[in-house]
Amino acid sequence: MDFAIHNSQSRTIVYAKMPPPLFTTRESEGSSTLLDEKLLRFMEQLELLEEKRASLNSLIEQGWFSMSKARYSMGNKHVSPLQYASEMEPLVLVHAKTLDSGELDFSTERFEQKCCKEVGADNRSIEEIGPQEKGVRRRIKPKEDITKKAVNEETSSENAPEVTPVTKSDQNLQQDPLKWFGILVPQSLKHAQLSFKQVLELSAEIATLQTAVLSTRQELKHSKKHKHEEASATQLDSVAD
Amino acid sequence: MTRYFAMAGRGKLIAVIGDEDTCTGFLLGGIGELNKNRKPNFLVVEKDTSITEIEETFKSFLARNDIGIILINQFIAEMIRHAIDGHMQSIPAVLEIPSKEHPYDASKDSILRRAKGMFCAEDFR
Repeated sequence: MDFAIHNSQSRTIVYAKMPPPLFTTRESEGSSTLLDEKLLRFMEQLELLEEKRASLNSLIEQGWFSMSKARYSMGNKHVSPLQYASEMEPLVLVHAKTLDSGELDFSTERFEQKCCKEVGADNRSIEEIGPQEKGVRRRIKPKEDITKKAVNEETSSENAPEVTPVTKSDQNLQQDPLKWFGILVPQSLKHAQLSFKQVLELSAEIATLQTAVLSTRQELKHSKKHKHEEASATQLDSVAD
Repeated sequence: MTRYFAMAGRGKLIAVIGDEDTCTGFLLGGIGELNKNRKPNFLVVEKDTSITEIEETFKSFLARNDIGIILINQFIAEMIRHAIDGHMQSIPAVLEIPSKEHPYDASKDSILRRAKGMFCAEDFR
């Protein structure tokens, strides 16, 4: 603190010069408030992430429990990788979109099992049992001739019958994985499948939260660094004065 | 049709590296892709599966541009922790999941360690 003494007519006035503040109050308040907001957001995201994690873990355990029950009724080797199909197509995909805020958002898209007519580009030999016609029944008609037709003829029928004809082309890849384990599967295996489907949707939400948490963490780091740089720059200025 | 969408970038696959039960469960959920033209998007880790194979599969999943999320049992993730810690990109996202014999431990999760670590008293001034 500097002092200056001014003597005027019979009055002595002492001026005290206060040192300048380390950094302007408004700037420090602004950057601190911003930091606080980011920190709060980070904590909220972490809390939400841990909640969703707990749900995910319990759903997975539920799925395993149902699978074990299915294994108990079907036999040990009937619910195992031995049953996997030799070819498979995914029924669920994940989309990653970048939002306006710059954050990534994951969302799942599930495809419903389509009947064999959808396989337009499939050029594998298809053997059909029974003629293709509108309203064809699922039941195989043994008296009819077994003819070999190209798949394009299948797809040409605009008004597809509601019932899928039983043909070898049903071995199309978009098959419900439940069918790998047999035609009649126990209810517990269906419950297991349902649990894992829910797990997949939750996984996308968790992936979104994870990336959000990491990006908020980075923002926090940069804001703190910026604040410290501002503070040290202002300190240096005041020392120079 | 699904393959077209995955390759055209309109949708990405979900990959899984896990034990038998984990892979069976997720494949039941419908994520599996297996055909002679492309490598599978899953790896069943058994007792005799080498760490090299696991690491190579994980790195191959990272290198593919059609995988959005990789699900991996945490006990397997521990075996290739250095590879997982080295993955800094947002896509594919890596999610560590529990296994039947090894429950989930948040303190081992790479993402959470990265998020919570580096905090010290200085940071809160």
